[in-house]
Amino acid sequence: MNLENLAVLLFIVLIGWYLSFSASRLDRLHHRVETSWATLDSLLQKRAALAQEIVAESNLDPATAYLISTSATAARDANIIERSSAESILSESLKLVQNAALDNALELPSELLVELSDLTSKVKLAINIHLEAVNATRNVRSQWIIRLFRLAGKAPLPVRYAFEDDSL
Amino acid sequence: MKKIRIGMVCPYGWDTPGGVQSHMRDLAEYLIGEGHFVSILAPISDDAVSFEDYVVNAGKPISIPVNGSVARVLFGPLASSRAKQWIASGDFDLLHLHEPAIPSLSLLACSAAEGPLVGTFHVSTPKKKAIYAIGPILEPIVEKLTARIAVSELARSTLKDHFDTDAVVIPNGIDGQKYANAPITKEFSGPNTIGFMGRFEEPRKGLQVLIDSLAIVARFVPDVKYLIAGPGDSDEFVKNLNPQLQNRITFLGRLSDRQKESFLKSVEIYVAPNTGGESFGIILTEALSAGTAVVASDIPAFKAVLENGEVGALFRNEDSSDLAKVIVALLRDDARREKLATNGKLSAQKYDWQVVAEQIESVYEMAIAGGQRVTLSSENRFWSRR
Repeated sequence: MNLENLAVLLFIVLIGWYLSFSASRLDRLHHRVETSWATLDSLLQKRAALAQEIVAESNLDPATAYLISTSATAARDANIIERSSAESILSESLKLVQNAALDNALELPSELLVELSDLTSKVKLAINIHLEAVNATRNVRSQWIIRLFRLAGKAPLPVRYAFEDDSL
Repeated sequence: MKKIRIGMVCPYGWDTPGGVQSHMRDLAEYLIGEGHFVSILAPISDDAVSFEDYVVNAGKPISIPVNGSVARVLFGPLASSRAKQWIASGDFDLLHLHEPAIPSLSLLACSAAEGPLVGTFHVSTPKKKAIYAIGPILEPIVEKLTARIAVSELARSTLKDHFDTDAVVIPNGIDGQKYANAPITKEFSGPNTIGFMGRFEEPRKGLQVLIDSLAIVARFVPDVKYLIAGPGDSDEFVKNLNPQLQNRITFLGRLSDRQKESFLKSVEIYVAPNTGGESFGIILTEALSAGTAVVASDIPAFKAVLENGEVGALFRNEDSSDLAKVIVALLRDDARREKLATNGKLSAQKYDWQVVAEQIESVYEMAIAGGQRVTLSSENRFWSRR
């Protein structure tokens, strides 16, 4: 075997190694996206349930109560495309509750209020972590070598949800 | 939160004093107090010195220059196998890696582990050429982190520049009560005492700027006293000074933790003249919670802590005459000094451990929500999967 053949062989081995490395990297990233979404999703569900509970337990005026209750239901039932806007609306309307509580204009069991602020900060964190994972995955998947060899397989491209961070 | 097993990795020598180490020590002690299990893997340069029983020795660190200081870090095959052993035997729910993006033990642990990983980024450095070369190698490793924490907005933007990823900002915590309740020591107190603390031999700590200001300050406030605490050789700084001014400077040497608390509480004004390379400025928050008026250079990290001058006075970075002006004005205006101190004490509450550690715990909770545990990544190769 001459030197040229050896070089070609080495090159092929190197490519092979890189492909397997990229495939496992991508696999890990997809996994990260899935788990971070599952976490975020369960937190959002909890928040919607809490919103209903707040409506039931407080002396909110009927208009606000109606707004919160419908937006909570909408957020729960939303399909994947409408989800982020529905959750943002719920965030906005829950902010009304927090503002009312700040003005002492609300009769609400304090543990619900504590739970709400706790959940709000956790949702924020979970959004941050999830978007992180999504961005990293999308960055890697945009590399030409990964597209060329279809290393992502049939995994759907993760969606970048437009959760409005400041509205939370 | 349920009680979990946490493994933390320290990049720098555990027995050398530093911000990262003391942050980790405080965090570990808080978490242990909360009922979690904590083990810290750290390089230790002198194993004759005793250390906390939750610390695991990973070997002797070597000194390399980083960011204007000398960092004592550890890497290499032996360190790597020790890290793997520690991960395999620790049975952790979560690993918390400090500074995983510099060549260190944390990076080794990050590349060896799989599962819930949390990374905290402490440094902020301007974008360097070298990162283009090692970026592509580091990126797949840093990418494994489930959640990232940056200790300041600056550290966060550094991370964004270097790796194109984002992070949650959680500031370093301090035990504010310790400083607020520290006793006032006669040695450090008295009217017109100015305090400085740090490894002053490093130019970026800016002691030269402070000493250059003395000539002007002493003209307006003849009985001013500069108290300089910290390890190092003081001759360099005073040998060119007029002997009368030399009398106004006292070098206190290295202070114990207790002395440090009472030092920060006792002095009339604390000055932080650092010229750059700071990402957070924990010493400022400590002085603030002691209820001492603070003067600091207007570098971005300090401006952020002092809320643009709301809770402490700022001077133009590296400008000793501006510093002198600010010090003199503040020494003469008791009302303003007291106001700054009161505002500062209030603002420092957000850096208190109770608040900070709860935020870190929620990050942990997010990271472990997937239900996985920490494993070695080599266990996950297809030929060793069962």
